[in-house]
Amino acid sequence: MATVQTDQVTLTVNGQSVTVPKGTLILDAAKKIGIDIPIFCSHPKMAPVAVCRMCLVEVEKMPKLQPACAVYVAEGMVVRTTTDQVTKYQKGVLEFLLINHPLDCPICDKGGECPLQDQTYQYGPGASRYQFDKAHFDKAVPLSDKILLDRERCILCWRCTRFSEEISGERELALIQRGVHTIIGTFNDEPAQSNYQGNWTEICPVGALTSRQYRFISRPWDLDRTPSVCPGCSMGCNIQIDARNNKIGRFQSRENLAVDDSWLCDFGRFSFPNFQRQSLERPRVRRDGRLEEVSYEEAIAFTVDGLKRAGGQAAGWASPADTNEELVLFRRLFREVLRSPHLDHRSAAIPDAEPDDISLAIADIERLEHVVVLGGQEVIDAAPVLHLRLFKAQRKGLNVLKVGGGDAKKALDGIPADAQVVGILATEANKTAAVELQGRLQRKVKGSVRRLIVTTGPNGRGAKDLGILPHLGPGYTSLNGQAGKARMEWSGAGLRALYVHESSPLHGFTPSDAESMWLPTLPLLVFHRFKPSPLDEMAHVILPGHAFTEKDGTVTNMEGRVQRISRGLDADWVVEDWRVFQEIANGLGAGWAYESVADITAELVRSLPPYSALNRGERVLWSEPA
Amino acid sequence: MAVKPLLTKDFATEDLHRLSVYERTGGYTGFKKALEMQPDELVELVKKSGLRGRGGAGFPTGNKWGFLPKGTYPRYLVCNADESEPGCFKDRYLIEKSPHQVLEGILIASYAIGCNLAFIYIRGEYLPQTEALETAIDEARQAGYLGKNVLSKGYDIDVILHRGAGAYICGEETAMLTSLEGYRGEPRLKPPFPAIKGLYGKPTVVNNVETVCNLPHIVLNGADWFAAIGTPTGKGTRLWCMSGHVNRPGNYELENGTPIRELIEEHGGGVWKNRKLKAFQPGGASMMVLLPEAGSLAGAGAMVVMDETTCMVDAARRYVKFFEHESCGKCTPCREGTFWMANLFDQFEAGEAKPGDIDLLLDIGYNIDGRSFCPLGDASTWFPRSVIKFFREEFQEHISEKGCPFKKSVQEAVA
Repeated sequence: MATVQTDQVTLTVNGQSVTVPKGTLILDAAKKIGIDIPIFCSHPKMAPVAVCRMCLVEVEKMPKLQPACAVYVAEGMVVRTTTDQVTKYQKGVLEFLLINHPLDCPICDKGGECPLQDQTYQYGPGASRYQFDKAHFDKAVPLSDKILLDRERCILCWRCTRFSEEISGERELALIQRGVHTIIGTFNDEPAQSNYQGNWTEICPVGALTSRQYRFISRPWDLDRTPSVCPGCSMGCNIQIDARNNKIGRFQSRENLAVDDSWLCDFGRFSFPNFQRQSLERPRVRRDGRLEEVSYEEAIAFTVDGLKRAGGQAAGWASPADTNEELVLFRRLFREVLRSPHLDHRSAAIPDAEPDDISLAIADIERLEHVVVLGGQEVIDAAPVLHLRLFKAQRKGLNVLKVGGGDAKKALDGIPADAQVVGILATEANKTAAVELQGRLQRKVKGSVRRLIVTTGPNGRGAKDLGILPHLGPGYTSLNGQAGKARMEWSGAGLRALYVHESSPLHGFTPSDAESMWLPTLPLLVFHRFKPSPLDEMAHVILPGHAFTEKDGTVTNMEGRVQRISRGLDADWVVEDWRVFQEIANGLGAGWAYESVADITAELVRSLPPYSALNRGERVLWSEPA
Repeated sequence: MAVKPLLTKDFATEDLHRLSVYERTGGYTGFKKALEMQPDELVELVKKSGLRGRGGAGFPTGNKWGFLPKGTYPRYLVCNADESEPGCFKDRYLIEKSPHQVLEGILIASYAIGCNLAFIYIRGEYLPQTEALETAIDEARQAGYLGKNVLSKGYDIDVILHRGAGAYICGEETAMLTSLEGYRGEPRLKPPFPAIKGLYGKPTVVNNVETVCNLPHIVLNGADWFAAIGTPTGKGTRLWCMSGHVNRPGNYELENGTPIRELIEEHGGGVWKNRKLKAFQPGGASMMVLLPEAGSLAGAGAMVVMDETTCMVDAARRYVKFFEHESCGKCTPCREGTFWMANLFDQFEAGEAKPGDIDLLLDIGYNIDGRSFCPLGDASTWFPRSVIKFFREEFQEHISEKGCPFKKSVQEAVA
């Protein structure tokens, strides 16, 4: 006889034996052996409520059918999901759900990816016996400027209200009225303010909650789906770019438990219109004060010429939304080819003195006892999905201490000396204070103190790691006294050329007042970007580049996780940004011969070994400072 | 054998609702005696008495108290005064006539289970009864029965009176607790049962008004005395709410086990207008209809009598509409199924029903019964299904005659 492990339970589902940990729901035990039990209200991220009654199954020794989504397995349990009683009931409950459902699938955004539609086909009756008027409700009710609610399609599964309560903790959605007249709504019909509303549309098992942006844009089967990373912030939430006819229809979440826990914020999700390409654009150069359309070759030759004259007096600004591969070449172009140290990716003066080598992983927030959110709401605003992780952890007992950026003292007093695992979250603006607080807390408490710095942009962390900084090289190496000027100092540094590269309007080069005065005085301003901007008026060269959503490469999120982004849209007439860098470098005599993005990725991993984490799906960790 | 009433014995006394009058009839002596006992002794006493809950389910009260986990405090007592079952009006009567008896019962139960804060969840429509309880609570507090260190016995107890907002479902104990906490009244997933995780997540006992009203008498007269009244499985007396087609509708406190015929004929004065009894319904809307020759024991507290002129289809229709109106909307089968049944019954009434509709009703009932979260869904099907079972021909007549064959005679009866 095999030893019986007490934390494991063996049961049979439809005669098949399955062993699962104690505390597993029947639904999940069945799923483990490939047995599908239809559900609507059940959601893996939310506590069972068993309201839709779709998942009822037979459990031996229990007189009534049991909800598989809410009943935990027991040793020796005998579950049957396909008996006559169950299948007859499944038809019955689907018939019930449809009596007041408008069945307007042909004009519903959800049609084609709708659990109600799918399960009706799989488990439902072919026809309804209901012959009365359906209960009528308001349709296309604006819940906010982002979301519309069709109350007729709603099957009252409570997923959205539970999200609002259990996942975001905002309690903005509630059930109103009762019985068949029950509706979902906000308090006093005030517009919902949540920054997580897009998730409602994804968890809605019918077409009741739809996003304004995606409404009537596409049928799901017409979408080209490309896995990528959200360009919104440094969180690195995994997304799917859903495009139709080479136009983005929506960003959908793509679960990565380590990063986004399957959610997106509205800022990121609804940012995609920024990445819609407006026109076919060609490179331009300024001749006699006017911009003229030219070929890439001409524009590159013009740029090479100007940069040659500027040499070490040329500065380069690369966006924190650029890929690591672009950043590798951009750095080499300036440091190795032009011999200029003046490189930056920042828009404000932020300290980057040391690597975030001991940074806390996002998912590890759930394993902390105490966390100091230094800067409070600023931190959440900088990476909104962090709030969901914090709230999830808080519900499990994490003590969340939100203090102002200057209130490190309060945080220090608020953490008890016997604390075992403490975390600090802060934005880059408060990095110095966070590092200092970490030191002081480490002296105070028994256990460990780790920090997680919210970097800027989807690849601000990569830009720092790869040395797009005036004072540090790749891997935070010293420049041996060759440090250049930081962007904040450029306007008064007597520079002779500026090369701006950006790939996201969300993280572009926005000139300060001083820079607005300085830019027109530059002998050469090269603007290599995705979308027209006011800066075009001052540029000598405009090089169209790819948007974040139009290219392949890798980006590094705030915790150091290197993730691939992929080309979700084609813009073939635009020369890939890295090729332009290579052409310019070669025009300046470099002799590079990269043939693909993969070539550059390989070199990145070779030259910067911590980036081999990319191939293992892990985080880049720098050695601890002495 | 007629047993003397217990709970209603002094109800003829004028101003019984005043504390001084209640005390003159022996009021609060049960509570005083209880305070001399150990809480555990009280629990044993009530177990021994065989008292069962009077809210409908009939669970042994002492056992319910015994389920509270040891050492977990605070724990709460909630007195269920959300009497909303159509045909039930006994709690209303008990509260109105003798609010102090209710309060005394609550105090005894609270002391027995170690609760220092009890709640009364009263049906929102019961305004005069709410006022009666409010006054009683004030009087009791002034007299030292409520508050800190009551009667100098070192026991603290207070009572909070909470009015419901008009939802039948809030009579279901977990929905009541949810409503009491300030949320939308909807039943909770069981387990955990309220005894383990009830109000505000704490161990909670929910007892009906009539149940607690028995406690002073059990404490004063002993378990054996109480157990001697009634039947082996139903101890003590019950209040029957007699309504419908009887000559003397009203509340009757009778020994458990009183035959229905005696109830209707002797106490209710028989079916009105010298008509014949067609059917009756014990236990409010949530029960099956019974025929005159059926079961001789009345189960729960209501007795709705229907004479021979009653259209059973219409009776079922009204009950179904009640459940459709009161379904909280949480579970699909109850929410949608009651709505559909109500539509079908309207169709019968309008004379537009088709032959298949009777079986359709039964099938809808099959898909609701046992499939919902709480018993409301189940109960919504029992009355109509039992009516179809016993009076199927009336449904068929509604179809063949394209309308209600009773309509005419019912109108005459009303006139």
